[in-house]
Amino acid sequence: MSSAVQIMMAFLGSLGFSILFNIRGIKLIVAALGGLLSWAIYLLAGIILNNPITQSFIAAALITIYAEVCARVMKAPTTTFLTAAIIPLVPGSALFYTMSYAVNGLFAEFVDSGAYTLSLALALAAGIVVASSLCRIGTVILQ
Amino acid sequence: MVGKEFLTLAMNIGEQMLVSGAEVNRVEDSITRLCRAYGATRVDVFTITSSIVVTAQFKGGSTVTQTRRIYNYRTDLDKLDKLNNLSRYICDQKPDLTYIKRELEKINESKTYSILVQHLSYALIAEAFTVFFGGQLVDAIVAALIGALLKWLISLIQKAKINIVFVNLLCSFVVGILAELSVKIGVGHDPEKIMIGNIMLLIPGIALTNSIRDIISGDTISGMLRLCEAIVLASFVAIGFGLASAFFGGI
Repeated sequence: MSSAVQIMMAFLGSLGFSILFNIRGIKLIVAALGGLLSWAIYLLAGIILNNPITQSFIAAALITIYAEVCARVMKAPTTTFLTAAIIPLVPGSALFYTMSYAVNGLFAEFVDSGAYTLSLALALAAGIVVASSLCRIGTVILQ
Repeated sequence: MVGKEFLTLAMNIGEQMLVSGAEVNRVEDSITRLCRAYGATRVDVFTITSSIVVTAQFKGGSTVTQTRRIYNYRTDLDKLDKLNNLSRYICDQKPDLTYIKRELEKINESKTYSILVQHLSYALIAEAFTVFFGGQLVDAIVAALIGALLKWLISLIQKAKINIVFVNLLCSFVVGILAELSVKIGVGHDPEKIMIGNIMLLIPGIALTNSIRDIISGDTISGMLRLCEAIVLASFVAIGFGLASAFFGGI
């Protein structure tokens, strides 16, 4: 399947979640666009890196900057844009497979998959925290 | 006494923020700022995902403590936005308490998307992630139908007010059975692809990421609580789908 289709689906998935999270008006489109961008960045980073964990870190960091900028321009909390934008990156399927292995007693697979899922979540969280701290430092310097 | 009444309002704002999906440190920060704006000389706030404890010392020596227990969350980022603006306005303008009460009531009554739109979003999410993970168009259509049904099922079960873990178990089981059935009767192609779209609706992926974020940001207890919740929920989702597959002799 082509990357373009996947990126479109990232947009639609984020749009769906944005509606469930009750984001309204123009912010809805901006938030869903964040989902499109985050997956596009993830795929672009994959051309050079080919490592899902580093790719997730970079995508999360850049999309956090996007969310921080949108939040300042549109005068809304950063969470509004960030929550929707990271949805394609969130290790939902990895978490599911990990717990499936546990339930089915496949412990070697469970450990491998569990470590992978936690690394992905850690990479995302670290990307977000690093980028938002940098944004905070940036605003202090600019003022 | 103004302090006591005001603290109740400040905690209402903080509680609603937490329920709507604010980070723990944002809630603590907002409550502290609100109390300071109304003459508190010292504010100690302790928030975890299920509880808020605040002690505020007001000028003149009165000390007030109040606690809240939080049972349910409902992510509502529009409400969070409004609460944020309200708390900023209160800190700047220091309006009287009746004004704050009225504004808070207005925010609590603000609307969400209609039931129909919510069903459609479930369908949209299921369809999008089925294609995202490599499913074919037929699978996506089946996934979308199951997704809409899932929303209906969740609202139905929630009326009975049963435990969220059991809701997830039951919903995953039903989705799993429907996905397998659709393939058996020849409509769908790949049950796993049909399921994965709907799994994204049930699995606490965002909660997992946020829990690690809390831990990194120094809110270790909140992070650990959320991490445990996410793992428990995810394992019951896995059990639900596992049972459904076992019915059809899979995995």
